[in-house]
Amino acid sequence: MIKSRPNYINRELSWLEFNQRVLNEALDPSVPLLERLNFLSITASNLDEFFMVRVGGLESLVAEGVTRPDPAGMTPSQQLKAVCARVKTMAAAQYACYHDVLIPKLTDADIRQLNAGLLATEQRDYFRTVFKEEILPVATPMTVNPDEPFPYMAGLTLALAVRIAAENSKSRERFALIPFGRNMNRFIPCPSDSGYRYILLEDLTQMFVEDFFPGVRILETAAFRITRNADMSVNEDDAADFLAEMRQVLRARRQSKCVRLEIAGAASDRMTAFLGKSLDAPDHAIYRLPGPIDLSAFRTIASISGFERLKYESWQPQPTPELDIRKSMFAQVAEKSVVLFHPYDSYDPVVRLIEEAARDPNVLAIKQVLYRTGADSSIVAALRNAAERGKYVTAVVELKARFDEARNIEWARMLAQSGVQVIYGVKGLKVHAKVCVIVRREGKGIVRYVHFGTGNYNERTARLYSDVSYISCADDLGVDASAFFNAVCGYSEARKYRKIFSAPVGLREKVLDLIAGEAERKRQGQKAFIMAKVNSLTHPDVIAALYEASKAGVKIMLNVRGICSLRPGVPGLSDNINVVSIVDRFLEHSRILYFHHGGDEKVFISSADWMTRNLDRRIELLVPVDNPVCRKRLISDLETFFKDSVKSYWLLPDGRYERTRPAGRRRLLRSQELLWTRAKERAKSAHPAAGSVFEPYKAPDSAANR
Amino acid sequence: MSRPRKPTGIRTDSRQHEEDTRLAGVIEIGTTSMRLVIAQIHSDGTIKTLESLQQPVTLGKDTFLTGEISRGTSEDCVSALRNFARILREYRVSPGAVRAVATSAVREAANRDAFLDRISIATGLDVELLDEGEVNRFTYLAVRSSLDEEPALRDANVLVVEAGGGSMQALMFRAGKVSHAHTYRLGSLRLRTTGQEFGAPAQHMRDIMINQIDSVLTQIKNELPLNRATELLIFGGDARFAAGLLARDGETSPAPRSSAGPAENKQAGTACFSAKSLNALTSKVLLLSVNEAVRKYHMSYPEAETLGPAMLIHNRLCEELGLKHVRIGNATLRDGILMEIAGGTSWSGDFARQVVNSALEIGRKYNFDSVHAERTASFARQLFRAMRDEHRLGDRHETLLGVAALLHNIGLFVNNRSHHKHSMYLIMNCDIFGLSSMDLHITALVARYHRRAVPSRSHTEYAALDRENRMVVSKLAAILRIADAISGNKEDGPFEEELNISFGPGRIILAIPNSGDLTLERLNLREKGAMFQQVYGLHVEVRNAGSN
Repeated sequence: MIKSRPNYINRELSWLEFNQRVLNEALDPSVPLLERLNFLSITASNLDEFFMVRVGGLESLVAEGVTRPDPAGMTPSQQLKAVCARVKTMAAAQYACYHDVLIPKLTDADIRQLNAGLLATEQRDYFRTVFKEEILPVATPMTVNPDEPFPYMAGLTLALAVRIAAENSKSRERFALIPFGRNMNRFIPCPSDSGYRYILLEDLTQMFVEDFFPGVRILETAAFRITRNADMSVNEDDAADFLAEMRQVLRARRQSKCVRLEIAGAASDRMTAFLGKSLDAPDHAIYRLPGPIDLSAFRTIASISGFERLKYESWQPQPTPELDIRKSMFAQVAEKSVVLFHPYDSYDPVVRLIEEAARDPNVLAIKQVLYRTGADSSIVAALRNAAERGKYVTAVVELKARFDEARNIEWARMLAQSGVQVIYGVKGLKVHAKVCVIVRREGKGIVRYVHFGTGNYNERTARLYSDVSYISCADDLGVDASAFFNAVCGYSEARKYRKIFSAPVGLREKVLDLIAGEAERKRQGQKAFIMAKVNSLTHPDVIAALYEASKAGVKIMLNVRGICSLRPGVPGLSDNINVVSIVDRFLEHSRILYFHHGGDEKVFISSADWMTRNLDRRIELLVPVDNPVCRKRLISDLETFFKDSVKSYWLLPDGRYERTRPAGRRRLLRSQELLWTRAKERAKSAHPAAGSVFEPYKAPDSAANR
Repeated sequence: MSRPRKPTGIRTDSRQHEEDTRLAGVIEIGTTSMRLVIAQIHSDGTIKTLESLQQPVTLGKDTFLTGEISRGTSEDCVSALRNFARILREYRVSPGAVRAVATSAVREAANRDAFLDRISIATGLDVELLDEGEVNRFTYLAVRSSLDEEPALRDANVLVVEAGGGSMQALMFRAGKVSHAHTYRLGSLRLRTTGQEFGAPAQHMRDIMINQIDSVLTQIKNELPLNRATELLIFGGDARFAAGLLARDGETSPAPRSSAGPAENKQAGTACFSAKSLNALTSKVLLLSVNEAVRKYHMSYPEAETLGPAMLIHNRLCEELGLKHVRIGNATLRDGILMEIAGGTSWSGDFARQVVNSALEIGRKYNFDSVHAERTASFARQLFRAMRDEHRLGDRHETLLGVAALLHNIGLFVNNRSHHKHSMYLIMNCDIFGLSSMDLHITALVARYHRRAVPSRSHTEYAALDRENRMVVSKLAAILRIADAISGNKEDGPFEEELNISFGPGRIILAIPNSGDLTLERLNLREKGAMFQQVYGLHVEVRNAGSN
């Protein structure tokens, strides 16, 4: 039971429940073994970020003496306490899963983690060679001198602490640290006749640690890792050079306070006390783990090749029958607006659209927001290509996308070198909208092609996250998209849009208005219904509006993957609200809103979650899907999530989540599987029989094959 | 700032791009903002807006408070214009298709030449300074469709106002015709700054502003038949903003007297609101500080400074007219300029007729002999058209000649002696709808030279003109003299007569229908034909049409 005020669930605790649901996938016997290991590693990396940002934030508040309670009525220190308690339970569950379930099953599957104490002679000899050649020359032990500052330990970097015996009765025992660089392999494989054998880096190092300290007696070694507070941002008001300022934040983040110290469980109290004191970690931040530190590293094992039977069967993204990527995207979109649901529908048309724009002589300008986009992205390549061909290309690159800052700075510079006008975000606001507009000169004048999405322009994540794309050349949307870029680029004041709505001004108001509209309709005896799919729901105003609508009798179905501060099913408050959460192989990431609107159904896609940060402190978009075919498809897809009886959970009034089960004798329904099956069937129906012409996968457009 | 490299892949497929559309850009340097509109003009004259940008600047505040534009503001304008220029380049709008105009905040700045020079050097843009008459002209073009398309407005007496930062334009329409056009020194920023100069406490600001508004209102009442106005149609950025707020609060009221149809007529671009809601919003806005308004309404600072005072002006007008509702229009000066670009010149057809209507109002004000005036104007225009090859002047000058012909005798109102000179300064100092101050200057001189002395460099007003315009004055005055000479003073004669004009070697022959005895005309011509012969080298002969 999550303890908090009746109407509102604390967001940190709600997030931890989400992580628990991910952990449940690791425990689910119906999930292939290596995928289970992957889910376990995801829970660990999720927690890493949670500590850096959320726990870091709470620690800062507590340090500043802030006692103002959150909407759930908890002060920062109360939250911190509750969070630590919940994380301790979760860590126990993670390691139970690891030791009791996954490791035995992996061993059964012939993926074996070798124990240093139980090595065969030839294995030991092999590892000695590896140690001498690959570890000894790279790892540098640092002696801790009590009179000097404690050596710098990078956040989230694994290290080995070594306790060395005193040389004689006059001297004292000493400590040394051996940090492992980020590029060192955590898993060192060992040749074997069958299966896969590996040893952990820290176990291997411990085996031969004397080699670092010849002639001394080593009392003890222990692996540890610290997590630093990353809750800091650029002081944008004083930032003359935003790029330089951003680099400083990255430096500052390296030095910030320790919010978590993880120590491998076997460490002595003495060792633990030494590390805690030296790294300035308070007791509540010390976690002694009953197993290897940093389970997130196990994603490497989860992806080893040769064990495909232990992974999900491949669900290839399907070509959408509405868009033939061999034909001109412009010609096809000119005929009809298209909605795509990735990764069931392939992301290729989106990439193709931008690539085609880069080459098309009639395209005048391309403007696009890039957020968490990879440097190797075809989209980035297409934008550079377009600029090099003399088109006006504007890329709004959000440098502030957390933990991607360094990467962003790098490829933003690359874009600028190609002649792309790069806008490094907007002062005080993160640009989170996902939009691209292509201005094209055609026979009947200027036509603008727009792409609105719920996910980032990132081809890699487009295969793992479920997101919606809406491609159209509707006039109003084109005008709005251009106006949006004019505002973001500082060319114009933000104007009222014709169709779309933008945060921080207008989007929240529109959402509240739509919710209130349903409530009013219900009060007047009309039918009213709301369906919404978002990743998180914490905004107090939105929650209040939903409560009001529920009280008016509006049926409300919410699909909230992660944090949900709304408490459903409370008599007299939220009886009519259902909240489900789906955790499956693809990360649920799309935001789709549906309002019955007196029968004139309104469907929107959005980049924004229903959180304060999204609706009030970010630049986000809410885009109506007016095309009837697209709208119908999205409604049908949205409904599917509420029918899931395999990978879905109900949020209970007390804040717990319970797996849904099929009602009565209904068949089990797994929404992601159904969506993929539908995509497959659609693709098949469009191309009923394989033709006699093969479709080779061609290399992307380059100078060589033009 | 990175610039795209030279276009290499851009080529135009002429078959695909049959040029039935063209792009045009309009930049307006206003009181509180710089605006850019890029529009696509189709061959049928329809205009589709592609881009609409707006950047707040404090030009009005600078000019109306300190008299000149500060360097900071000037640089803000340059940077906004550079951004606009990029957008124009993105659409490949050719520099020739861009029209940049500036209104009162620049026009009235003491350092306007330095400002315009800075803009020209930094951005390559040549900015036209619009005077009040030109603003009226474009406003009219933009407003006309609203009037045509809204049944309730088409036949009504409509007062159209736009309160800018420094001045207020007022157009009075009677059944679709402009009857009055005036500009008053009543602007939102002037109001605010005067109040502030006196250091008035916030709660007294409203009273001080009302006081000022009312003093101008007295003047307006002298010049406009306000009591006849049954509709008030408001334009301008502040009004549009207010309309947005009122519409958001669901304050749109059904348009009176048009029983069917929604309150908002999208095509006409006007929305109707109750006077009560306008009043309530005005009070609400005036209670807010500029900071509060910016936060509450998400507007720029310059906008927030003008919103309250502008609404107060509108509100007072509405009260004065005793109306229960007001209409707020969407049209802008930019729309008018675009319409002119789309339709070629605006100096023909409807607009020119409105100018004439406005001139007739002035004539009536000075008790002119309408029969003689209109007959003279008709003859003058016929001569003008027949002599296109001789003078090579266009529609604008035809309109100016027509106005001069209508008003050439209004100086009689002052005194018979030297009445041509009285006509000149009366015209120079009146508001005629659609005419710029240069237009009025030319018109006044043409009227002046309808008799007595021919143009001379010793005449100050004439000498103030450049060579080209001096020639215009001479050419038009010469025609006016002939038209005047043959119009006689018959009070009962028909005046819509067709002259039969023909040319002979070294002469022009005017056959006047139903003219009977032409002795008087010939006598007049002896006096007035000399200038014509001097200017055009043609001797004038008159004949009675039908008698050879």
